[in-house]
Amino acid sequence: MRRGARRASLRGTMRPFHLRLPPTLDSVTALQDALEAWSDEAGLPMPVAMRLALVAEEVAANVANHATGASYFEFGAKVESEGIRLSLVDDGPEYDPLAHAAPDTEAPLEDRDPGGLGIHLVRTMTRGAAYARESGLNRLTCTLPVEG
Amino acid sequence: MEITEAQEAGRSVAVLDGRLDTATAAMTEAKLTEMLKQGGLIADLSGVRYVSSAGLRVLLKAAKQAKEGQVPFAVVGLQPPVREVFEISGFDKIIPAFATRAEAAAA
Repeated sequence: MRRGARRASLRGTMRPFHLRLPPTLDSVTALQDALEAWSDEAGLPMPVAMRLALVAEEVAANVANHATGASYFEFGAKVESEGIRLSLVDDGPEYDPLAHAAPDTEAPLEDRDPGGLGIHLVRTMTRGAAYARESGLNRLTCTLPVEG
Repeated sequence: MEITEAQEAGRSVAVLDGRLDTATAAMTEAKLTEMLKQGGLIADLSGVRYVSSAGLRVLLKAAKQAKEGQVPFAVVGLQPPVREVFEISGFDKIIPAFATRAEAAAA
């Protein structure tokens, strides 16, 4: 009951988050600082705020590290009934981060490669992760559950 | 991120305090690499409440360096959000984790 009330008040009062930044690693930190303030304002439970920060870092760092040719990325977060709807848009070359196979999380230490772990975390912590190429932009969307 | 050095039953301990993420990965990696050159290491993560894939990369490199050098490497004091990230990534299966420094040193 308390959860329901909290979610309703989140949905009713919280302004959507939008931030457009150049695709650099400094921007990843700037995005996290801004999101932390937004999470505080929204009264997000700590585990949810942590996952939000993590998902934002992973997708933004992905663009900063790989999207040569992008002039910006824009991160959005909006509280909806089923969770926090997230979007990351950039104007770099077409690139679908979800196209990679999930990393083998059962492999022994010597065979482990850190590649792909970020997107694996995003896929696991969110629902409905989807990629689209629209009007020359990469658009990654997913929903972060607010429960727990 | 602040990293201080300590000792536990003759084993070196790196005490990490802060976020282990894109912004702090490089300095953390440099410190752990340097400490592992001297021998086995315990990374105390009690003061770390956030680890991203950039941080996981640092811990994976440390674990591999330790294995190649045939010295022990373990983490202790995993906080709930960090444990969640470890479990999703399967790091709980490749990096020994203990509740306390004493348990890690005795293992």
